[in-house]
Amino acid sequence: MTATITPPVKVPQPDAPPARAPHLTLRQRLSKWDVKYSPYAYVAPFFILFGLIGLFPLGYTFVVSLNNWNLLTGPGEWVGLGNFATELTDPFFWNSLFNTVSIFFLSAVPQLIAAVVIAAILDQNLRAKTFWRMSVLIPYVVTPVAVTLIFSSAFSEKYGLINNILQAVNLGPVDWMTDVFPSHVAIATMVNWRWTGYNALILLAAMQAVPRDIHESAALDGAGQFRRFFSITLPSIRPTMIFVIITATIGGLQIFTEPKLFNPTVSTPGGNDRQYQTTVLYLWDLAFNRQSFGKASAVAWLLFLVIVLFGVLNFLISRRIASTEARVAKKRSARALARSRAETELASGFVPGVSPELAEHDPAHDPLPDPSEAKR
Amino acid sequence: MKFSRRTTAAAVTVAAIALVATGCSSSGSAAGTADDPITLTVTTFGTMGLDDLYTQYEKENPGIKIEATNIDTGGNAKTDWQTKQAAGAGLPDVQAVEEGWLSAVMQVSDQFTDLSQYGAKDISDQWVDWKVKQATDPNGRIIGYGTDIGPEGLCYNSKLFAEAGLPTDREEVAALFGGDDATWADYFALGEKYHAATGKAWYDQSGFIWNAMVNQQPEGYYTADGELNIEDNSDLKALWGELAGGAAAGLSSGQTQWDWGKGKAFTDGSFATFVCPGWMLGVVKGQVEAAGGDATTGWDFANVFPGGPANWGGSFLTVPTQSKHPKEAAALAQWLTEAKQQAAAFTVAGTFPSNIEAQGDPAVTGTNELATFFNDAPLGTILAERSKGVVAQYKGADDSVIQEQVFGPSALSLDSGTDGQAAWDNAIGLLNQLVVNK
Repeated sequence: MTATITPPVKVPQPDAPPARAPHLTLRQRLSKWDVKYSPYAYVAPFFILFGLIGLFPLGYTFVVSLNNWNLLTGPGEWVGLGNFATELTDPFFWNSLFNTVSIFFLSAVPQLIAAVVIAAILDQNLRAKTFWRMSVLIPYVVTPVAVTLIFSSAFSEKYGLINNILQAVNLGPVDWMTDVFPSHVAIATMVNWRWTGYNALILLAAMQAVPRDIHESAALDGAGQFRRFFSITLPSIRPTMIFVIITATIGGLQIFTEPKLFNPTVSTPGGNDRQYQTTVLYLWDLAFNRQSFGKASAVAWLLFLVIVLFGVLNFLISRRIASTEARVAKKRSARALARSRAETELASGFVPGVSPELAEHDPAHDPLPDPSEAKR
Repeated sequence: MKFSRRTTAAAVTVAAIALVATGCSSSGSAAGTADDPITLTVTTFGTMGLDDLYTQYEKENPGIKIEATNIDTGGNAKTDWQTKQAAGAGLPDVQAVEEGWLSAVMQVSDQFTDLSQYGAKDISDQWVDWKVKQATDPNGRIIGYGTDIGPEGLCYNSKLFAEAGLPTDREEVAALFGGDDATWADYFALGEKYHAATGKAWYDQSGFIWNAMVNQQPEGYYTADGELNIEDNSDLKALWGELAGGAAAGLSSGQTQWDWGKGKAFTDGSFATFVCPGWMLGVVKGQVEAAGGDATTGWDFANVFPGGPANWGGSFLTVPTQSKHPKEAAALAQWLTEAKQQAAAFTVAGTFPSNIEAQGDPAVTGTNELATFFNDAPLGTILAERSKGVVAQYKGADDSVIQEQVFGPSALSLDSGTDGQAAWDNAIGLLNQLVVNK
């Protein structure tokens, strides 16, 4: 920009570049630097913060994980990758990984289905729209500690609301805090309570961005509510879905507060027999109860690698879905093209001068369109 | 790399808190005056009965302001201390330390002020001798002033006893259990009788019983030399068998410890007896009141304990070297553990004094609000009796891990029907994994 502002003086040829500098005033030079360097200053806070609270702890944790580091007395002997080897053979580590993945599936799957359904309902023309949307977000605003306290009281085995109700309708009480599967369900319930509304709002935003005219034309062509939802809405919000799934995965693998406070009176974090001890909770237990800071750091790194693995898997799967979609779309439009060509030829009889491309200008107005093909 | 929203939000919050915290920690002049007082922070846990004393101290020392934090349980207080100790910042001027995790504190005893600089040695004979010994590190530095000790007596519900046709008068009850010769076998036999008469449980859960059993041994999980003392310890194993038998006979109510259904189990007749170290009396009162009960709920305190004298817990007030005002902090800690103050704390929380003079104080031997709750039981006199013959055993470095993570789950598994031998084997397996081969 600034270059164009400089007066069109006869600039000497490139063989004498230093001569150009004196022609710039301080103001011009400042403005030039501004263009050149300011963007870096604008993005710097993120990178400085990221380096400080993201990258540095990551590296430091790795250094700690190579030591026999005691929480209180500090670094011990250098053990190389010994802590990693110990943890990979520790049944409690694998137990925590199993619990994490189990709770993750129990929360992520119902959560995403419920979020899509809620978003679809909110996407309708409701009265008092904002009220409904805000209501859905309220569980997210409530602090997880409070949520956990309320839920753990409800799930309490002897005096809890849920077992009281179960017994009132003559069903046996469930050992929510001692049995493996029920405890996972209980914790997944808390996670779902907190995150469903949040995901629903993100999906709602994506749904609102789907062009209404596609819906309209599909409706005109006789596609029902469900047909339109599955053939128009869902495919259109796929990128947002992928985003939601990835954030849910990362969050789901880091569950801590819910299992930590689910039964705070128990002396082993994550249940007496570690029924619902997630990996982050295991890591915390290692560091703060058993004082093995080195091993805890090794677990932190292993968890990091697991999350990266899940992230890569997510990415590959979603890319595959996207490319499949592109292939299908191509096939579909090819089919539509062929059909409309045939129809044009049929309609125009022997008139060969009509170009098939003209008749094909708007597939949505084809005589017998497949609503799913209206997707762009 | 991508961070989830949650991580980012948490990081931002932590950063904000850190900024606020550092802003607050700047401190003023060296000597406090009424206009510019020194603020001393104190962290305690459970029910220590010091709240009124802080106010009194502030009144008598206009240059001092006290900011007190109380953490709900000793376990959480340990986590809190450890986190701040490891971080190297954030510890209060006066930190209460429980006997159960004193061994962890001793690992870093140089991080605590040697109180003999402020006269601890001159007054050391005011405490029972083993209390001072516990707080002395291998280099002879005294790092803590003793507050309470935990001699154990038996809490029982006289109403439930009456329903079962058992005596209700506390002296008759003490005799019923065997007086000075009370054994765990007597205790479980009586429990079976009670269970047969009422169909109800005898005690709340197996964990506390086991705790008491271990604590009354001359040597617990460790020998006095600091060696692990579990796998071939026939005394411990025999006691475990008795405990498993009791649970199998339906004597345990299988309650959640430290929760008890938010106190309901203390008022709805779930169990009739409860092991009560001095400081537990305040806990029982709190639980009963939380569930809407009062003195008429029927809890009483008997001068008897199965298996002989036992001590559970007891605390110390320490001054971490992180404190900016060690002199003032030591003075406060010393004042709080003087005879008069220990006696006052007892009347509020039932924390039985480690201070010898306080043990004979009329406030301890006489009646008070807590005693009224326990049907006017002479709590101080009973506890003084119960403390005779108590010797606190050596606690090793991993004592609390063994207590909480090795035997904790196994004792509770007895309550849900696990066979005694299987539970013991499970405990040994956990021991090897968590402590021996760590």
